[in-house]
Amino acid sequence: MAKAPKLVSNPQIVTANDLASGDVVYLTKVNSWTRAIEQAAIAPSLEHSAALLAEAEAQARRNIVVAPYAVPVTLETGNPLPVQFRERIRAAGPTAGIGAGPGE
Amino acid sequence: MYAYDDFDTQLVAERVAQFRGQVARRISGELSEDEFKPLRLQNGLYLQLHAYMLRVAIPYGTVSSTQMRQLGVIARRFDRGWGHFTTRQNIQFNWIKLEQAPDALAVLAEVGLHANQTSGNCIRNTTSDQFAGVAADEIEDPRVWCEIIRQWSTFHPEFAFLPRKFKIAVTGSPNDRAAVRVHDIGLRMVKNAQDEVGFEVIVGGGMGRTPIIGKTLRKFLPKQHLLSYLEAALRVYNRYGRRDNIYKARIKILVQELGIEAYRREVEEEWAAIKDGDLRLPAEAIAQIAAHFAPPHYPERPTRPAAFLEALRGNIDFARWHARNVAKHKQPGYAIVTISLKSEGQPPGDATAEQMDAVADLAERFSLGEIRVTHEQNLVLPHVAVADLPEVWRGLAAHGLASANIGLISDIIACPGLDYCALANARSIPLAQSIALRFNNWQRAERIGELKIKISGCINACGHHHVGHIGILGVDKAGQEFYQLTLGGSASDDAALGDLLGPSLDTEATVDAVDTLVETYLSLRQPEERFLDTYRRVGLAPFKEKVYAAH
Amino acid sequence: MPLIKNGEVVPEDWGYLSDEAPLPSTGAVFVSLARWQAERDTLRGRNQPIGVVLPNDADPKAIADDLPHLSAIALVFPKYTDGRAYSQARLLRERYGFSGQLRATGNVLRDQLLFMHRSGFDAYEIARPDAAEVFRAALAEMTLFHQPTGDGRATILQQRLARRLDNRSAA
Ligand code: SF4
Repeated sequence: MAKAPKLVSNPQIVTANDLASGDVVYLTKVNSWTRAIEQAAIAPSLEHSAALLAEAEAQARRNIVVAPYAVPVTLETGNPLPVQFRERIRAAGPTAGIGAGPGE
Repeated sequence: MYAYDDFDTQLVAERVAQFRGQVARRISGELSEDEFKPLRLQNGLYLQLHAYMLRVAIPYGTVSSTQMRQLGVIARRFDRGWGHFTTRQNIQFNWIKLEQAPDALAVLAEVGLHANQTSGNCIRNTTSDQFAGVAADEIEDPRVWCEIIRQWSTFHPEFAFLPRKFKIAVTGSPNDRAAVRVHDIGLRMVKNAQDEVGFEVIVGGGMGRTPIIGKTLRKFLPKQHLLSYLEAALRVYNRYGRRDNIYKARIKILVQELGIEAYRREVEEEWAAIKDGDLRLPAEAIAQIAAHFAPPHYPERPTRPAAFLEALRGNIDFARWHARNVAKHKQPGYAIVTISLKSEGQPPGDATAEQMDAVADLAERFSLGEIRVTHEQNLVLPHVAVADLPEVWRGLAAHGLASANIGLISDIIACPGLDYCALANARSIPLAQSIALRFNNWQRAERIGELKIKISGCINACGHHHVGHIGILGVDKAGQEFYQLTLGGSASDDAALGDLLGPSLDTEATVDAVDTLVETYLSLRQPEERFLDTYRRVGLAPFKEKVYAAH
Repeated sequence: MPLIKNGEVVPEDWGYLSDEAPLPSTGAVFVSLARWQAERDTLRGRNQPIGVVLPNDADPKAIADDLPHLSAIALVFPKYTDGRAYSQARLLRERYGFSGQLRATGNVLRDQLLFMHRSGFDAYEIARPDAAEVFRAALAEMTLFHQPTGDGRATILQQRLARRLDNRSAA
């Protein structure tokens, strides 16, 4: 999505795609990757997400994941919920049609 | 239909093996993502919003029953049970795993299908008229030339890293169903004063950020020179096309910046040097390819069979479907059936593996084993005997494929949009569904008549919104999905780009606006006028006034 | 950097001369196009091999008349996705008949070597230790080709027509 607001003060999680499968994945507290957004490691703000992002980028260089980046979230429901619409669709799957929902 | 010989088979097998090696080197880390990305794109593999997407070519939209079944196999074995037919006669699978992509390609290769050059900055899948070879208005079958272009462009060593992608379309009919004026190069088969058939070459059309209707580069090109002329046109583009700015890298910008005369001079000069070289097509070579597309043998069938006439009289649903979805065939006793992939609630262009099998079976029994894919995201059974129409219709209806809406307001083109596409601003599919739902009363839809709505989720214009009678473009307004409407576009022989209606609207207001536009048209139209005709007569103002009056 | 010719790593016997450096009395050197154009007469007279580095936005026509004096031309791939040098290579070989060394420099990667070879290159600067194996593997990946290029390989079309002729004379 074009130029989404940076949302620097929001908590952040880090996402990427698994290299071999292409699955949407999130970085966990123990530096592994999960498909479940609830298990994502949470940084309190963009500033604090640097360490997570550095770890993710290191793993991208080791060809585990592709194209990592930080995603601003809210924690109102307890679990991280992306602020941006695009990231919500990415987390939950397509919103319409045969493929709606998270699949498998 | 074109059938692979041992050369084609071996070439595709070598390509699968080559790509298998590239994938293995990527997974092992020998190739970085930056090095690998253009390689996977040249094999149609994208990394999309959710997963890798594989785009498989359906060259010039012709596919056999066997091939269609194999697409179903891909959907079931490597994906989630369905595929999406695109506006460029390709099919996309949304959840292919990188590590399995070579196996999927090997399965496709078994039946002569591939994903070569369905993406990347190279010559893409050449598209054509979905009625090629059966249309009554055709000068010649354009697929002969599409296949000749396909072979020449496959792994062309000079043109694998062009400034940007390059799309060619060919039409053999004066009634353009291939949108040749909005392609990098469009070829129209024409006759000259001596009654010889050749090509009008149109260049620099396109959509995207800078929509342009193509200009005539050459009024008449003799057939045997097609490849040398294309090579000259591409070489000039490869050398001088801009590479500093991705948005200015298409050939349309080069033609615009040089001017059509200067571009033509360059091409003609280059062509003069190569036209009598190895690319000149010997008559025998043309004949060899043309033989693949020789008209099939049509067993004699009645032109007005009793059961068919009876069904027309007695079954309103069949009669409606016949009026909408069945076109005239050049062979008496036969008809062309368009299968709508726009049934209510279905994302435009999506088909399940079961539907693919059903269409394959019907084609085998009733259409000489042949199916076409249209750029309007529907399928076609090109050779159906009139006498078989009632049974074909029943067979389609059993699989949710008998919507009688071809050319009507619910026959919407929509790109995958934000539900799938990593580049999208807004969703296309739910909007298409809402509009289809709003106009689900068929009497009303019939009253409205031909109206082409085309939706793109971003400025890349995969949904061809610029050439929709009503075009809809998704935009991002402070993180919200908004839509810009354009009116009066057309992709046909009277090609035109739509005019911007006004400020963008949210989803609900967009559906309302379409409704208002339609009502305005109905109140203004003169007898026999389509939406497009009325728009061209009265202009934007009355429509604009009505839509924004309420806001 | 390994230099590949005829599928083998060969010793590099060419140097790249900067525009300021004096012309050495012996040894093969590449000069820039600008220097070639400025000092053409002196350079032509040198009885040691001389080559030109042709930037990828230059028209090969600019050196068409000089080709008899040039032993090598280096074409540049600033990024491997910039494909202008393929057209230059074909023009130099097929249009202007250049028969000296045609060298690929810059971002020269395994997966483009076959395209380069087909376009007329015969020397490659490949920045990896296993350059020779990589080159041979890349060239072996495909054995059939559709386009008639200066590499002289029979195209699929030519093979098809020849086969039909054979069949006919056999019949
Ligand atoms: S138009 Fe934009 S959103 Fe739609 S498929 Fe193309 S790139 Fe994606």
